[in-house]
Amino acid sequence: MTEAPARPILDCDLLVGRDIATARRVRPDELAATLAGVGIGGGLVGSLRALLFDAPSGNDEAAAAAADHGWWAAAGVDLRDPLTAVAEVERAAAAGVRAIRLAPGRQEVPATVPGLRAVVAAAVGHGLLVLTEGDARLVGSALRGLGARVVFLDAHFYHLGDFVLLAREEPGYHASTRLLGNPDGWERLTGEVGAERLVFGSRPGWFEASAVLARMDTARLTASELDLVAGENLRQLLEVAS
Amino acid sequence: MIIDVHGHWGPWFFSTDVGDAAENLRVMDAYGIDLQLVSAVEAVVYDPSSGNEALVPVLRAQPRLRGLLVIDPREPDLAARQLAELLPTGLFVGAKIHTHYARTPGGAPAMAEALALLAAHDLPALVHTWGEEIIGLADVVAEVAGARVVAAHLGGPAWPLVPFAAERTDRLWFEPCWSTPAAGRVRWVLDRIGAHRLMFGSDATLIDPSVTLAAVRAAALTPDEEELVMWRNAAEVFGLPGPE
Repeated sequence: MTEAPARPILDCDLLVGRDIATARRVRPDELAATLAGVGIGGGLVGSLRALLFDAPSGNDEAAAAAADHGWWAAAGVDLRDPLTAVAEVERAAAAGVRAIRLAPGRQEVPATVPGLRAVVAAAVGHGLLVLTEGDARLVGSALRGLGARVVFLDAHFYHLGDFVLLAREEPGYHASTRLLGNPDGWERLTGEVGAERLVFGSRPGWFEASAVLARMDTARLTASELDLVAGENLRQLLEVAS
Repeated sequence: MIIDVHGHWGPWFFSTDVGDAAENLRVMDAYGIDLQLVSAVEAVVYDPSSGNEALVPVLRAQPRLRGLLVIDPREPDLAARQLAELLPTGLFVGAKIHTHYARTPGGAPAMAEALALLAAHDLPALVHTWGEEIIGLADVVAEVAGARVVAAHLGGPAWPLVPFAAERTDRLWFEPCWSTPAAGRVRWVLDRIGAHRLMFGSDATLIDPSVTLAAVRAAALTPDEEELVMWRNAAEVFGLPGPE
């Protein structure tokens, strides 16, 4: 077993709201209880209302949840309306939000749309971290050359090789741990591009977060590497103090 | 005791280095898995003819691994020949059918024929299920006298259909491994089908066992459920030894 991280675990992939695909709801207080139950200290929260229906009101909801529970907010944008999406990036930056969240899959928007690069370019202009759902091979390819700092929330071990190739080219590319649940995914990724590129994410309340925590328990990483993964990388990406 | 009914041996085409049986044993030891039922990756994704044969010496060398003979329903003659040749070794305790790679959905006529062949050998099968085919598979199992099937993955994203599949026949069991487990899924299913119908599988060495073990542990099994899910159901269906 690996030594437990020195500081509370931070999760880059917190979500509140209702998922139209499953009819499941997670309220902020329910999410807080889930985090406490599995031993996750906090993280970066986004709103499904923002991603699925109305970005401004959903992002206000995420900001309120973050304020109430000591989390950080990630501003969701809707790529089906790229004009409002760019405006929402501006609004988020002005409000002091440090990250945006993209969900091209949920929104049934292909990675090739111009709005994706336009939104991310706006985020880069304001120094914002980008969280993105979707196939890391496709979204990662589409965002090449923008100098973006991105965490790919759905990076799957099936696609690890392509992610490594992209990450070698793009120093700002990071993978979430959530779907790297094979026997050597964490170790292979850190061996190829460094533990600085792996960020703990488990989407608690939606995904079986304890599965990611259990994988961390047997990760063949050093204690310092584990510290990076469990929280320090996210802090550095958000430019907040330990 | 833990019996893992869904394992694989051999290299995958992904960027992962898990092809040696030592990797099976490493993850089994890491998570306290006593026995693992394995099919050859080569047989699943390429050719049962060479893949099943390649597994034989591995099974002879590793008594904690028991074989699942891969059947492609599109090649019933090959299946019949390999059953006749390889079952007498005593190394194989069941069959594996992958509906996607073999392009044979759970409800297909060829599936019914394959399960009838296995039933004639009194051999249970682990069948990959993904999506609504889990209902079609349940109907086929109900039709084929003597067929005994474990539906792998709970149908993946179609897991809310498991209770409907379970109603079709009592000769269908379920196994929960999935690389993207939804929160609360195992308890939801258990409460509707009962612990006699679920058995643990990991999909190692494709997926690390921690993923499904944690999903099962998150269901907070009672001691009775734990015994049934983690080994007893598998021991009864596949004819395996229980705790010493």
